[in-house]
Amino acid sequence: MFYAKFKKAIAIAEIVLAFIFAPILLAQKKMIQVKGSDTMINLVQILAEEYMAKNPKSPIAVLGGGSGTGITALINGTCDICDTSRDWKDKEFSLAWEKGIKPRLFAIAVDGLSIIVNEKNPLTRLTMDQVGAIYRGDVKNWKTVGGPDMPISLYGRQSNSGTYTFLQEHVLNNKNYSPDMKEMNGNAQIIEGVKADEGSIGYVGVGYVIDKATAKPMKGLKVLDITKDAKSEAYSPMDKGAVDSGKYPIARPLWQATNGKPSADEAAFILFELGPEGQKIVEGEGFYTIGAKYIEANAKNLK
Amino acid sequence: MNARKNKKVASIALLVILASSGLLAQSTTPSPQAFNTTIYFDYSFNATNDGDLTGLDTAKALNNKFAFRRAYFTYENKISDDLKFRFRLDADNVNAVDAKGKKDDKMRPFVKHLYLDWAGLLPNSTLKIGMVDTITFKLAEDRWGCRSVAKTLTDGYKDITGVDIRASSADLGANFTGAISKELRYGFMVTNGEGYAHPELNKYKKFAGQVQAVPVAGLSFVGYAETERLSDSAAARLDKVDAFFDMVPNLNISGEWFIYDSDNNKNAADLSHYNVGGFSIFGTYKIIIDKLNIFVRFDNYRPNSTDSDKDMSLVIAGLDWAPIHSSWKIQPNVWFYNYKDANKKSDIVVNVTFFLSF
Repeated sequence: MFYAKFKKAIAIAEIVLAFIFAPILLAQKKMIQVKGSDTMINLVQILAEEYMAKNPKSPIAVLGGGSGTGITALINGTCDICDTSRDWKDKEFSLAWEKGIKPRLFAIAVDGLSIIVNEKNPLTRLTMDQVGAIYRGDVKNWKTVGGPDMPISLYGRQSNSGTYTFLQEHVLNNKNYSPDMKEMNGNAQIIEGVKADEGSIGYVGVGYVIDKATAKPMKGLKVLDITKDAKSEAYSPMDKGAVDSGKYPIARPLWQATNGKPSADEAAFILFELGPEGQKIVEGEGFYTIGAKYIEANAKNLK
Repeated sequence: MNARKNKKVASIALLVILASSGLLAQSTTPSPQAFNTTIYFDYSFNATNDGDLTGLDTAKALNNKFAFRRAYFTYENKISDDLKFRFRLDADNVNAVDAKGKKDDKMRPFVKHLYLDWAGLLPNSTLKIGMVDTITFKLAEDRWGCRSVAKTLTDGYKDITGVDIRASSADLGANFTGAISKELRYGFMVTNGEGYAHPELNKYKKFAGQVQAVPVAGLSFVGYAETERLSDSAAARLDKVDAFFDMVPNLNISGEWFIYDSDNNKNAADLSHYNVGGFSIFGTYKIIIDKLNIFVRFDNYRPNSTDSDKDMSLVIAGLDWAPIHSSWKIQPNVWFYNYKDANKKSDIVVNVTFFLSF
C-alpha cells in the first residue's frame, strides 16, 4: 500500500518535472561560453561578433571578470573557453587535474604591456627595476627616477586580473604591490585615472592605449619606453618588431584555454581567431599577431 | 594611565608576534573586503504518517512546515596577496528557554569561523589559525555541493542517528594544507576537539592527518585519520576514506567511508565495546551548467557494530535549480529513511529547499 502510494507520487513528480524542464532543455542551444581576462574582452568580443556574422548558427557569449575568474570557470565547467592574459599557476593546473580538467592552451595574440603616465609628465622611459620599485612603493616621488618633484600616484588592477599577476611576477619580483595603489576594475578605468592625475602611473594592454583613428597614444596619455636594465636600449610597446623579438621586456602572449581537445564548434572559433581574418582583427585592436613559435604550438593543441 | 600602559604593552607584544612570524616583512595591498550572506530555508512535509520519524504522535506528525535551517553572515578581508582574515557568524535554532523558563527558539548567531589564512609558509600551501574549518569532511562536502540540502555522512551523522562521533565542521586550533605535486596533497590539523559549540574541556588535543592522491586527472583517493585522547583512560580514533570520480564532464560520483572507535563506546548491558561506522555514495550531474543539477545519495549508517538492528539507510534525491541566477536556488528533494529493525517503519520526507546567497 505504502509503496504503491510512493510509486504513484514519484510518477506524478516525474510528469510534472518533465513538463517544467522539457521546454528549458529544448530551448537550450549549445552556446560557446568564453570567460576571463578583461584585457582581452574587447578583442574577443569583436572576434566573436565577426565570427557569428559569418556563422549565425554558432552563438558565442563573451564575459570578463579577470583571468583568475576565467580559469576558475573552466575548472568548474561553467565556461568552454577561458581567456587569460597571464600564464596558468601551478596550483591552478593542480586543481584542474583534481577536477578532471585538462587545459589546452592557445596563444591568440601578443600584448606589449604598456606603462602609461599622464601626458604632462616629462619622463619618457623607465627601467624594469624602476617600474618594480615604483609599484612596490619603494620609490614614491618621480624625482627619484629622473622625473619632476611630484608624488607618484599608482593605478593598477585587482588581484583577480591577469595583468596584475603578470606584472607582479615579471616586474615586481613576486613582491606585493604598494598599499597605496588604487585597484581599478578595468583597463579603461586605469586610463581615465591616469589622464586625470598628473602624478599618475598605470599599466594596461597595448590595445587600450592606441587611438584607432590616429594610430597614436590616446590624448592625455604618454606610453613610456621600457629598458631591461640601465645599460640596455629602451623600446616602446607600440613597436611591433621590438615586441616580437622580445626586446620590449614586458611582452606577453594572450591565451585561451579549453578543457582537453576543443569541440568542433570551439575549434572552428579558435581557428577563425588564429586565421588571417582573426589576426587582422587582433592588429586592428592594437595587439600583435602571434609568431611562428605559437602557431606551431597552437596547431599541435588543436589536434 | 594603567590602561594606556597596558594597551601600549599589548600593541608592542602584538607587533613582536607578527614580526616574528614574518608577516610584517611583506608589504601589503589594500584590503578588498567582502560581505556575504547565505540562507537555507525549507518547506517540508511528511509523505508518510506511520514511520519512525513521521508517526502519529503530535511531535512526529508535525509536517507541512517552513523552517530556516541556517543563516550565515561572512566577512572576509584580504590583507595581502598571501594573508586573509575570515569571520563567519552562523545562526540556527537552539533549544533555549528564557529567564522565566519559557521556551525560546529564536535563531541565534554564534561564531563559526574566525581565522587567519596565510598562504606564504610553503609554496602551494595554506595555514589557518583560529576557529578554522576542519579538514575532516571538507573535500567530501565540496564534491557533494548540496550542503543546503543535507550535510555529508560524517558531518551529519549525529543528526541522523543521534550518535556523537565528535566530528565538527569547525574547531579552535590550526590546520595546514598543501600540494606537493598535482598528484599528491596533504593536510594536518591540531584542534581542541570540542568543535565550535564548546570551549576546551580537557587538556588533550585532536590530531588529524590527510593524504590525497590524484593518480589520473579527475580521480582522487583521500585517506584521513584522527586521534583524540578523551580522558586519562580513554581515547578515540576516526579513520576515513573518500573517493572522487570527476572523469566524465558534468558528472561527479563520490564515496565516503568511515569508522569511529572510541574507548567510551560500551554497551550498557554488558559493557562490551562497539564502534560506529557508515558509508555514503553520492552523485551529481549538471544537466544545464549553472542552472540545473540532479543529485542522488545513498547513506548506510551502522551506529553500533554489535547491534545490527540499529542499522539504517537514507536515500536523498533531488534537483538543484537556479532559475534566474546561481545566488538563488530552489532544491526540491526527497529523503527516504529505511531501518534494519523490523519494528520501525520507513519514513519519507519531502522538502523544497530555498538557497539564497548574496
